[in-house]
Amino acid sequence: MNITKELVKRVAQQSRLDLSDEEVEKLIPQLKEILQAFSEIDKLDTKNVEPSFHPIEIKNVLREDKIKEGLSNEDALSLTPHKKNNYFLGPKTL
Amino acid sequence: MRMNKNREIMIGLEVHVQLNTVSKLFCACATKAGEPNSAVCPVCLGHPGSKPVLNKKALEFGVKLALALGCELSRKILFSRKTYFYPDMSKNYQITQYEIPLGSNGHITLDSGRVINIKRIHLEEDPAALVHEQGNVLVDYNRSGNPLCEIVTNPELDSPEEAREFMNKLVNILSYLQIFENDSIIKADVNVSIKEKNFIRVEIKNVTGFKEIERALYYEVERQKSQDVMQETRGWNPDEGITYSMRSKETEDDYGYIIEPDLPFFTFEQSFIDEVKKQIPELPQSRAQRYVRDYKIDDTDAKIIAYDLSITQIFESIAKKVNPVLTARWIRRELLRVLNLENKPLNETPITADELIELFALLENKSITNRIGQQIIEKLVKEKFSPKEYVEQQGLGKVSDESELSIYCEEVISNNPQAVADFKSGVEKALKFLIGQVMAKTKGKGDPVLIKKLLEEELK
Amino acid sequence: MSVIKFVKSVKEGSIDVVKNAEKAVLESKKINSEYNYFNAFDETALAQAMIVDKKVRKGIAGKLAGVIISVKDCICVKGVESTAGSAVLKGYRPLFDAAAVEKCRAEDAIIIGKTAQDEFGFGGFNVNIGNGFKIPLNPLDKSRSCGGSSGGAAGITQKASFPHLAIAESTGGSIVNPAAFCGVVGLCPTYGRVSRYGLIDYANSLDKIGTMAKSCADAGLLLSVISGHDEKDSTSSNNKLQYFEFKNSVKGMKIGIVKEAFGEGVDSRIVDRVSDAIRKFEDKGAETVSVSLPTTFKYGIPTYYILAMCEASTNLAKYCGMRYGAHSELKGMFNQYFSAVRTKNFGAEAKRRILLGTFARMAGYRDAYYIKAAQARTRIIEEYKQAFKQCDVLAAPTMPILPPTFEEISKLTPLQNYMADILTVGPNLAGLPHLSLPCGKINDFSAGLQLIGNHFEELELLEVGNAYEQK
Repeated sequence: MNITKELVKRVAQQSRLDLSDEEVEKLIPQLKEILQAFSEIDKLDTKNVEPSFHPIEIKNVLREDKIKEGLSNEDALSLTPHKKNNYFLGPKTL
Repeated sequence: MRMNKNREIMIGLEVHVQLNTVSKLFCACATKAGEPNSAVCPVCLGHPGSKPVLNKKALEFGVKLALALGCELSRKILFSRKTYFYPDMSKNYQITQYEIPLGSNGHITLDSGRVINIKRIHLEEDPAALVHEQGNVLVDYNRSGNPLCEIVTNPELDSPEEAREFMNKLVNILSYLQIFENDSIIKADVNVSIKEKNFIRVEIKNVTGFKEIERALYYEVERQKSQDVMQETRGWNPDEGITYSMRSKETEDDYGYIIEPDLPFFTFEQSFIDEVKKQIPELPQSRAQRYVRDYKIDDTDAKIIAYDLSITQIFESIAKKVNPVLTARWIRRELLRVLNLENKPLNETPITADELIELFALLENKSITNRIGQQIIEKLVKEKFSPKEYVEQQGLGKVSDESELSIYCEEVISNNPQAVADFKSGVEKALKFLIGQVMAKTKGKGDPVLIKKLLEEELK
Repeated sequence: MSVIKFVKSVKEGSIDVVKNAEKAVLESKKINSEYNYFNAFDETALAQAMIVDKKVRKGIAGKLAGVIISVKDCICVKGVESTAGSAVLKGYRPLFDAAAVEKCRAEDAIIIGKTAQDEFGFGGFNVNIGNGFKIPLNPLDKSRSCGGSSGGAAGITQKASFPHLAIAESTGGSIVNPAAFCGVVGLCPTYGRVSRYGLIDYANSLDKIGTMAKSCADAGLLLSVISGHDEKDSTSSNNKLQYFEFKNSVKGMKIGIVKEAFGEGVDSRIVDRVSDAIRKFEDKGAETVSVSLPTTFKYGIPTYYILAMCEASTNLAKYCGMRYGAHSELKGMFNQYFSAVRTKNFGAEAKRRILLGTFARMAGYRDAYYIKAAQARTRIIEEYKQAFKQCDVLAAPTMPILPPTFEEISKLTPLQNYMADILTVGPNLAGLPHLSLPCGKINDFSAGLQLIGNHFEELELLEVGNAYEQK
């Protein structure tokens, strides 16, 4: 499993994390060791085995199409200083 | 999918429509709200610890659409997390369906007979709405979590016109099924490629509205003919009418799909599928074809009538009692006209099949003139009354008394010398004018055929 | 005094709820200044006590009347700073209670504060704390770890002299691990038994809310209150745990001894104590049988970590400085802003797990890691199902080691940290209920006996655990 600097930086960018070169250097052996250990599962025979995305079978949980009172505009905005009039404020996109 | 070797253009659509539920896809907030951020809760705001719960009606609507489009319904469906970062995303992942769609392998047939295959349809949640200020964006989460249905076609559309027709037919089906807000906006991602440039595919993201979708397609086809083309994602600028390259960095993100672990899987019993199938009315295309075949009405009239579910239903009720050809003509030309003038849909007027059956029967047995018929229908759209009784009370029956009409003809001829002179010198329009004048004197009740005959005799 | 006895005394009028709460808050704050068990205190605790007191006097108080409850920081308490141990949620005061907390309030419990944990649950020694947080110290030896990730909950459960219950959470073993290290009972129920609404997610298909106490009976009491269906959590089960009377007997019970859990790699003293405990069950009429779980032991760790990290990396995407939590001045383009907030406020282990989790679900790697791990999970679940055909309950040590010193932990690589979960990832992956109880002293500490039950069979576990406690 080849963990290169480029790969680590790409994944970091993907996850919106800024890593210094120093941090990347430190991470490479750690990630290598971990991913090596993870790759052990290659050895397990899983032919025709359905993946389990939950430990027990859960199906068909539905909600009636009805409206319930949510949060007031004031409450919703109360958790951040980034707001203007009745809107949330977010960082630039253009 | 077979490629037509002569194809010049290949277009595929990914259409997003908002389903007509009262609450959002994964929470109980209203789908319609006024003031910004007034229909929000921890779920659609992405508060830590909040969890989604699927709206039953949205699922039913999705199933209905899948079946109506002739799709194979997946027997077991799952939801997926599509992770990407943007200020309109309340969780920076969207709950959608990636691995297993709701339905697949459907189709819509165009008027030309060409079949456009629908690759898949699935459900997903809408992100929030962004208002671009100078600098920072304003975000309104009222839209966050609204239920969307995405319909993806194979890239089989040959032209922007075909794309427009496809969209029209799709929207028509959606209205028929009553799962779609007629006023709500359709959005699409479109992909376009042309033969000249070796069918290198360009995707245009987030085009809003019918008109813009067609405009964007026209523009892009032209652009591809005149410029170098590379595989990329572009945006559509409706104000300037151009597509523009989106910074590739933003579009390179890997979505890292996983199965949504906060939701269970969903299965469909055959009994449920059968129930939903029963709720699907005969769809516009086949309905129009049936009208032409069984009622022998004009093809265009049939299509126009079949287009709207309430119009089509009233047509069928009336056509049982009154000549269908006349019914079709009057619905298409007069009923739709007055509804348009009033700017109201049929169900917001007092008109029911009963009133129209009476009216059309009077027309069918020539008891009233067309002019009177028009007057009555204009009144019916505003108030409820019996056309038959009204005609009797107001004495609106067709006037066919030759002696009475002759008097009016003489009066009109003597009062309109110029028109008479014009007619005598060969101006056909002048006769129409004179007929109109006589009709006015009879308050629209005069038999126009008879009036014409009398005038022509008089003027000889 | 047991909590069950406490409630009885409160209702009889022999304990003053408000005075008790005052004392408890004072003691907790004192303990906290030394041991760092709390990230935040609920300043309304006394006000809550006064309301409960009124109800007690009217004779209408609930099953947890006046009981002091601590809540792991990842579980939302309305109006009380809830950070999941992370700087990225510093200052976040939820607008709602978690379902489990609501249920406690409905039975007149008193919430006093939020307990310390590894950031978002990322750890087994409670040393992976968020930026600006403090590491909780083992109540029996301050130079050693409490275990994790529910370190604070286990610490205060051991240390408090007042009757107390802890609401904790487990993803890969975070309830039983610290329970074993701190010498208390930790009960992790079946997946879905307790609603996860209001639980700040680590990994949604693995997270379970559970309880800690000084006895099985007390741990069971709290579970009976917080369990039950919640329409706000699509994965919550309709199966409500009814409170019960113990039979105090294990006669006829079949206990499966997990072969691989007693091998090399487990401290021999722990093996001895746990084996002694199992012999006691045999003396009391239980049958034992050897059960082997080779797939679980060989593949449990990678299976658990891959799935947990994949889910976690998506759960943590929402922390980006918008709407709530840590934020910066809004400058720069959106990606810059997001990256700045996240980089500054996530700790090293959180970053590592986000990277690994993102990688394991990227196109090209997804099949080999994420999907493969989900398939491995199926095989592990099947292995347990087979095991339960042979026995009612499985027994094993909870942890392979005694609580290490912080110095010893600092020398471990991240992978070595993960390997310490070897005995607990199995039941967590399979969503099986499991508990740990102290069973035999080793110096200041106790060995932890882990009991694992089949899905929804918490009562069997509690029966066995309670029987052990009645020496």
